[in-house]
Amino acid sequence: MSGPRLARHRGATRGPRRMREAVRLAVLRMTPAARRDWVEAIWAEAAEVPSGWRRLAWLAGGMRLVAREVLMRRKVGIAILFAAAAALAAATAWSGSPAYLAASHERAEVLAMVAVLGCLPLLTRWLFGPVSDSRAGRALRVSAYAAILATIPAWHVLGLVRDTRPRAGLDLRLYFLIEHGDQGLGVLLVIVMTLYAAIILWLTSQRSRITPAALRAGCRAGIVAGVVVYAVAPLGLSKQATNPWLPGSDIDPLVLLAWGLTLLAPAWAAAAAWRDTAIVSPSRPHRSRARQGISAALLTSLVSALLVTALGMGTTALMVREGWLRQWLYHGSHQLYGIMGLGALVHGNPQAIAYSHELTASSDASVFLVICIAFPLIALALTGLSALDLGEPAVHRPERPPPGGGGWPGPQLGPPPPGGGQLAGPSREKDRLLVG
Amino acid sequence: MVARSGFSAQTLSVLAALADQPSQWQHGYALAKQTDLKSGTLYPILIRLADRGLVEACWQDEPQPGRPRRHLYRLTTDGLAAAALAGAAEPASRPGPRPAPARRRVAPPAVP
Repeated sequence: MSGPRLARHRGATRGPRRMREAVRLAVLRMTPAARRDWVEAIWAEAAEVPSGWRRLAWLAGGMRLVAREVLMRRKVGIAILFAAAAALAAATAWSGSPAYLAASHERAEVLAMVAVLGCLPLLTRWLFGPVSDSRAGRALRVSAYAAILATIPAWHVLGLVRDTRPRAGLDLRLYFLIEHGDQGLGVLLVIVMTLYAAIILWLTSQRSRITPAALRAGCRAGIVAGVVVYAVAPLGLSKQATNPWLPGSDIDPLVLLAWGLTLLAPAWAAAAAWRDTAIVSPSRPHRSRARQGISAALLTSLVSALLVTALGMGTTALMVREGWLRQWLYHGSHQLYGIMGLGALVHGNPQAIAYSHELTASSDASVFLVICIAFPLIALALTGLSALDLGEPAVHRPERPPPGGGGWPGPQLGPPPPGGGQLAGPSREKDRLLVG
Repeated sequence: MVARSGFSAQTLSVLAALADQPSQWQHGYALAKQTDLKSGTLYPILIRLADRGLVEACWQDEPQPGRPRRHLYRLTTDGLAAAALAGAAEPASRPGPRPAPARRRVAPPAVP
C-alpha cells in the first residue's frame, strides 16, 4: 500500500476504532464492578470471532448481558424506577383544568418537585460523592424518594378537597365555617421535601463521614418513632380526628407516652451512635462521637417525620376516597368537637358529616409540614445541646492509675528503654529520656 | 428445561464442554462453538458457575501480538464433581489433586 493510500486507510480505521473504544469504556462504566471482567472478556473474545454479522451477534450477546446486569443492579434500574414512580405521581396529580389557577399552581409544584428530585442525586454525587457502600444507605435513599413521591398525589387529593368550593347548600356553609386555607403551603411542601431529599442524600453519601452504625441507629429509631406517631395520630394532629385503636381523648396517657418516646428517639439514636463509634483521635475523644450522634439524631427525625408524613397524608387522601376508612377513623364520640356550632349543624346528616370530616382532615394535613420542620429542630436541639455540654475536654491523666490494674486510659507509653533507663514523667516528652 | 440435577440443558452442555478437557483452560469462543450457544447465553452461565465456585476464570498472561488478552475458564474440583454428578462428565475423567480454585489469578503460559 502506497503512502497516501496507507494514510487514508489508517484514517478510515481510526474513527471506528475510536468509536469502538469509546463504546467499550462507556459499557464498562455502566457495568457493576464485580462484572467488569466478564464484559471485558466478551469484548476481548470478539476479536477471535470472524468479522461481520457473527462478530456483531457476539457483541450483541455481550450487550444483552450488560443490560441485564445493569438493570438488575443499581443505576439504570433505579433511574427507571424513579422515572416510573415520578411519572405515576405526576399523572395522579394532573387532574383538573389548567385554566383553574389552583390546578396550574399544583402542576407547577409537581413539575418542580419531580425536577428537583431528579437533579438532586446528580448534584449531591458531584458535591459529596456517590452513595456510601452500605445497604442501609441505599435502602434509605430509595425509601425516602418513595415517601416523598407518595406525598405528591396525596397532597393533590387533599388540595382538591380544600380548594373545591361547593355550589350551595349545607356543604357551602360548612366550607366557610371550617378553616381550610393553604396559601403557599404547596410551595413550602416542595421546599421542605427538597431539603429532606438533599440532607438524606448528603448523609448517605461517601463524603458525609457518617458511620454505618450511626446510619443504622438513625434509621431504626426513625422507623420506630414514625410508626409510633402514625399509630397515635394517623391523620396528623387533627383535633377532630382520633384513631380506631386509641378510643380516648387527646391527652390519653398512652398518647402522651407515645409522644414522649417519639421525642426521645433521636436521643436514643445519638446515644447508640456515640456508643458504637470508636475514638479516632485521642486528643479529641468526643469529636467524632458527637458528630455521629448528631447525625444519627438528625437522621432519626428525618426518617420519622417523612414516614409520618407519607403514611398520614396517604391515609387522609385515601379516607377522602374511601367511605369505610372514614367511618373507621372517625368513630369516636369526640368527632368534630372544637368547632363551634358544627355538631348541631351536621347532626343527623351523614353526607354533611362526611364532608366536614374530609374538609377538616384535608385542612389539618398541613400539620404534617409542621412535623417535618419541628422534628429535625427538636433532634438538633436535643443532641446539639448535649454536644455543647460535652465540649472537648483536655486529655488528663490522674496521678494514680484507676483501680483494678487496668492501666491509664488512652494511649499507652512504650516499654522502658533497655539498659535500665526510665521514661520521664507523663508531662515530659520523649526527648527527656533518662538513661541510667 | 431444567434437568434433575438442577442444571439447565445449556448449563449441562457447558459443564460437559469444560469437563472434556478438565485440566486445560478454555476460551469463551471455543466453548460457544462446542456448545453452540450464543455469547448472551454462554456468559451468564459461566458467571453463575463461577459465582458458585464450579468454574475458575483467569486472564491470559501472554496474549498474541495485536490481540487483547483472553479470558480463560476451567472447572474447579467442585465443578468436576458437579459435572460428574450431573452426568456431564465421566468420573473417570477426573484428574488428580488440583489446587484450590483461585479466581482472578494469572493463567499459566501454556494455552491451547
